Amino acid sequence: MIRAVNLIKRFRRFEALKGLSLNVPDGSAYALIGSNGAGKTTAIRILMNLSQATEGTATVLGVDSRAISPRELCQIGFVAESQRLPAGLSTAQYLDYLRPFYGEGWDRDLETALLRQMRLPRERKIGHLSHGMRMKFALVCALAFRPRLLVLDEPLSGLDPLIRDEFMQGLAEQAGETTILLSSHEMNEIEGLVTHVGFIEDGRMLFEEGMTGLAGRFRQVCVTLAREAVRPSVAPAEWVDMRAAGNVLTFVDTRFSESGLGERVRAVIEGVRDIDTEPMALRSIFTAMARRAAAATGSEL
Amino acid sequence: MTLPRISLRPGRPILDQLLFAARKAIFSGEFSPGQAFPSIRALAAELRIHPNTAHKAVQQLIQEGLLVARPGLGTVVGRPAGARKTDRRKLLSEEFERVVIDAMRVGLELPEVIESIEEHWLRLSKATEVRK
Repeated sequence: MIRAVNLIKRFRRFEALKGLSLNVPDGSAYALIGSNGAGKTTAIRILMNLSQATEGTATVLGVDSRAISPRELCQIGFVAESQRLPAGLSTAQYLDYLRPFYGEGWDRDLETALLRQMRLPRERKIGHLSHGMRMKFALVCALAFRPRLLVLDEPLSGLDPLIRDEFMQGLAEQAGETTILLSSHEMNEIEGLVTHVGFIEDGRMLFEEGMTGLAGRFRQVCVTLAREAVRPSVAPAEWVDMRAAGNVLTFVDTRFSESGLGERVRAVIEGVRDIDTEPMALRSIFTAMARRAAAATGSEL
Repeated sequence: MTLPRISLRPGRPILDQLLFAARKAIFSGEFSPGQAFPSIRALAAELRIHPNTAHKAVQQLIQEGLLVARPGLGTVVGRPAGARKTDRRKLLSEEFERVVIDAMRVGLELPEVIESIEEHWLRLSKATEVRK
């Protein structure tokens, strides 16, 4: 659905993207995650042809992103955090304005159902809507034509918990019909919805993976020792974010497998009493990997 | 309509959590045979999960005989049939071993484990009795 190869984007001397590649499979719900300034919005803007890559190419719906025309835009729903909508129009006027662009593709029944589900007024000046309502309204506008691709850049940021929840509910209900690319920091909220994750750090793709594989290979490991824990001088490279506190040593195993973990731990740590492993939420996986990336570059978090 | 008393926890595979909640709801009598089961779309919207995941869960439950597809009507709760041999073997060897290891790890005694299993068993089978 989307494929980008080696995208580089320079703003004067600053390199925002340093060879970013990504691949969003058909029918997936792909979450682009990464720290602030990692390059998520820059990447999305290039994919949506709102900005040009300095180098590298991307195809969206089989078309070079630089050649995206109204024909493709009719099949792409896009909502950005800083979504601009005409403040002077009412919601109904804006929907009247949008519909002709999509012709037969616009589904009025779905529009009505979404407005009701999202508890949005039919007739209110857009400028008088709260930020949360504006974002929900933008989602309705992006879903009502049943797009093949839905792109959401930080859609949940600045929304209160109730509005976020309504937003996610509307999204989950339509997710089966469209491919989704979204960037978000609200990882607990999106965890159930996303099928693929791409982890951007410092303008590069650290890894991209299906959620099932990701959930399977990451574990928080907690080793209880007979004495005060110290970080071992040598440890497998796949163990990250290692911490010692009291008699407990914790780390994140990024290549977890149940069999042989005990032997691997005892090979580098003495006096092991107990080993406990916990599956990790997307959010914890992200923070562990972000800390490691920051440590590797020597920067502070 | 969705599953009663389900709340998903991040970090655990959604599909497993959903299957567990559905089986529990069926065996504990929260759903009776013949009763309509939530649609894929309703499950996805209510739980904020991807419809594909909900679809996989429903397919799996149909395979297990816990749900029956009624074309045009959606799925209804079936009558749980006898378990397949592989399921029994898997439960008796792997799952119980896991329980035993966890129990030993936290220092439980065998009678405590048996008592706890009995409690769960009685609670769930009572619900099924009432239903019959």
